[in-house]
Amino acid sequence: MDKSGRGRGSVEMRVKKEALVLLLAGGVGSRLNILVQNRAKPAVPFGGLYRIIDFSLSNVMNSGLTKVGVLTQYKPMSLMRHLGMGEAWDFTGRSRGVKILPPHTGFKDSDWYKGTADAVRQNIDFLERNPADEVVILSGDHIYYMDFHAMLEYHRYKKADVTVGMMVVPMSEIHQFGAGIINHENRIVDWEEKPEKPRTNLASMGIYIFDRQYLLDTLSRDREENDFGMHILPRAIANDNVFAYPFYGYWRDVGTIQAYWEANMDIIRKNSGISPELWGIRTNMETSGLPFDRSPAYFGGHASVSCSMISAGCSIRGTVQNSVLAPGVVVAEGAIVRDSILFADCIVEKNSVVDLTICDKRVRIQAEAVVGAGNNHEIANRQQPKHLYTGITLIGKEAVVPPGVSIGRNCIINCKTKEEAYPGKEIEDGETL
Amino acid sequence: MIKPSTLAMILAGSRVDELDVLTYYRPKSAVPFGGFARVIDFPLSNLLHSGIEQIAILSQYRGYSLINHIGTGAAWDMIGRHRGISILPPFKDNMDQSDWYRGTADAVYKNLDFVEYHEPEDILILSGDHIYKMDYQDMIDYHYRKNADLTLGVIKVDKKKAHRFGIAAIDDEDGEKGGRVTAYWEKPQSAPEADWASLTVMVFKPEVLYRALGENQKSHSFEFGRDIIPLLMSWDCRVYGYKHHGYWGYTRTIEEYWQSNMDLLGENPLIDMQAWGLRTNLEHRGIRDAQPALIEDNGVIHNSLVYNGCVIEGTVINSVLFPGVKVKKGAIVENSVLFFNNCIGADCRLNKVITDVNSVIGERVLIGPEVGTVADQVTLIGWNNKIPDGTIIGEGATVYPNLTPEQWINRVEAGGVLK
Repeated sequence: MDKSGRGRGSVEMRVKKEALVLLLAGGVGSRLNILVQNRAKPAVPFGGLYRIIDFSLSNVMNSGLTKVGVLTQYKPMSLMRHLGMGEAWDFTGRSRGVKILPPHTGFKDSDWYKGTADAVRQNIDFLERNPADEVVILSGDHIYYMDFHAMLEYHRYKKADVTVGMMVVPMSEIHQFGAGIINHENRIVDWEEKPEKPRTNLASMGIYIFDRQYLLDTLSRDREENDFGMHILPRAIANDNVFAYPFYGYWRDVGTIQAYWEANMDIIRKNSGISPELWGIRTNMETSGLPFDRSPAYFGGHASVSCSMISAGCSIRGTVQNSVLAPGVVVAEGAIVRDSILFADCIVEKNSVVDLTICDKRVRIQAEAVVGAGNNHEIANRQQPKHLYTGITLIGKEAVVPPGVSIGRNCIINCKTKEEAYPGKEIEDGETL
Repeated sequence: MIKPSTLAMILAGSRVDELDVLTYYRPKSAVPFGGFARVIDFPLSNLLHSGIEQIAILSQYRGYSLINHIGTGAAWDMIGRHRGISILPPFKDNMDQSDWYRGTADAVYKNLDFVEYHEPEDILILSGDHIYKMDYQDMIDYHYRKNADLTLGVIKVDKKKAHRFGIAAIDDEDGEKGGRVTAYWEKPQSAPEADWASLTVMVFKPEVLYRALGENQKSHSFEFGRDIIPLLMSWDCRVYGYKHHGYWGYTRTIEEYWQSNMDLLGENPLIDMQAWGLRTNLEHRGIRDAQPALIEDNGVIHNSLVYNGCVIEGTVINSVLFPGVKVKKGAIVENSVLFFNNCIGADCRLNKVITDVNSVIGERVLIGPEVGTVADQVTLIGWNNKIPDGTIIGEGATVYPNLTPEQWINRVEAGGVLK
């Protein structure tokens, strides 16, 4: 049945015309540095088992929406592999589905997406092929739990042309967001994109519900309007019905290394408000192509683990504190892992130390090595001072830290760095290799 | 496209009385094992890695848990044009024959139409009840090399335990590989001269199997071990033994079942599930949706397996924890196997306990002998129980599933049964 009660004919009445979802997953997320060297930001692993996009996809699933287009652009391979046929989120079936929408050549050569609205515009045929009354536009970059069904009901109740998911953020952070001024009925009356001098602390979460026809009309009106926040919304607010849908839960844009680290740590902190399992977050566990399923984690006779998340397939014989370990991580006897995030199949060999570090997949920390040495968190990374300045060290995918080597704070060891690449036994704070 | 030549049939129907409350609601093959899997995952994974992709499962006892577990077969890559797992339950035929399978051989006989439809060149029949890693393809190659009518997988056992098995005497035609079976005794009461036990892994030449099953229908007993193998021996068929040299978990008693769980632990475990390539259906019971295990401030875990979805605030030693097990503060769990979604309350003490799924154990509950002491017998808790605070359950006791609050008593004596 047509939930909106706006069916037009007896045959159409029988077609479930639920909202169509467009998930913007093209984000480069360059501030995540080497974590996005080989993958788009939504495909960055998170919380041991998950990838960032799992949160948006699972919210879509748990809201009862089943038709999803994922707009990709930047290094989409790992994302496409992860989405597969969508069965992990129950998107397979005759009238259900998740479709990858990569950029395609238009009338001009190689039309890359010029902005969020442009990305949607370039896939207007997808919108036209899938009848729906509303289009839900989301970003695949955020960690949160939200019921889009409730937001849709709100959108319908308000008879809005556009509804924007918004939440209160600290005044000091509003400059990173689109900011909306609302009146007593939550109508958005004014808009400032990334304001230098904010008048409000109500931030856009990058979650929009558009009436489908309104969206089609808007996108065809002015082909120079390429961004929702910069162009489409201000115009809509000036002329049409735009409402704010208030959100009060846990929501993080994990766009920086520090924010990414904090959000991971929130999972092990009590009462932080994030709980992937309670939120019903699903992931696709089969992408690694292993011939076996990960066995339960093994804890050896002398293992010492506290305040940590340990995934299946890990093998812990040393000490792990305040850390999040993805599947297949090995922590050997005498090794210490502290305040760190280790992606799948990292190996931390005997008597080595990993402190305040994010290791991408299959990193090998050899015996007696120290990653995150010393206490000087203040020296930012010399090449990327805006990425690494709080003490976190990054080790790229499949890099090796040779035996006995000591790596300081705010360091970056690039993907696939081999033993030969090390200039000596010590990598100083803020260095990049 | 190459059509598969082998049809595998898994005998998964049996309920094992000695396994007591664990098989009240499921066949032996669907009993949980290894902290996330089921017993039948072992033969299924062996089939997958042996490249055998056409499989039938014969099941009649409490099939639902098994049907759920097999799902589409996708977990073992068994979907495709010539790949698949079919579950064959009993059915009523128009001859008004008894619809239940009267034995393992009868089960296969009743499904001969299915078997013949697949036109297999060889038929692999195995039990779904055992824990082992085996390359069936190597055994099938041996079967062809010997032009055998039947090849039996066998393993050396202690002669004192021979009375529990089908025992074959094997000549040393191919040394460690195998040899011709010169004599066969099913569950011999007196100590036999031979010590090669049948693994219930059998490769048949189809026409020999069809003839034997037809002949067997005249009899009153319909078992492969008791009837079909002796029949082939009496016909002087070419029966060969293929020697298995690795681990074999024959878990017919609670003690054996517990022991094979303990064989998962230690620095060099006898059962190495990842090395064996074990796969399960992560969809079943939704275990794919569990988040990583959370080990809290005071959690202690030594020599144990803990799957995703567990939350550990207490102490866990020498134990196997399935998804969703919670161990509260001050609780100590030793030498135990806790199935899915059990909650162990604060300050509990468990030693050598197996708990089936979904029990909530209150605070300060003592089950089994004092922790730190060597327990002799396994204490068994059936599923869906809510054990009141302070209850004491003695060593070797059995608690039936689904007890109501009124049925609970303060103390269950050692070896006692609460039902």
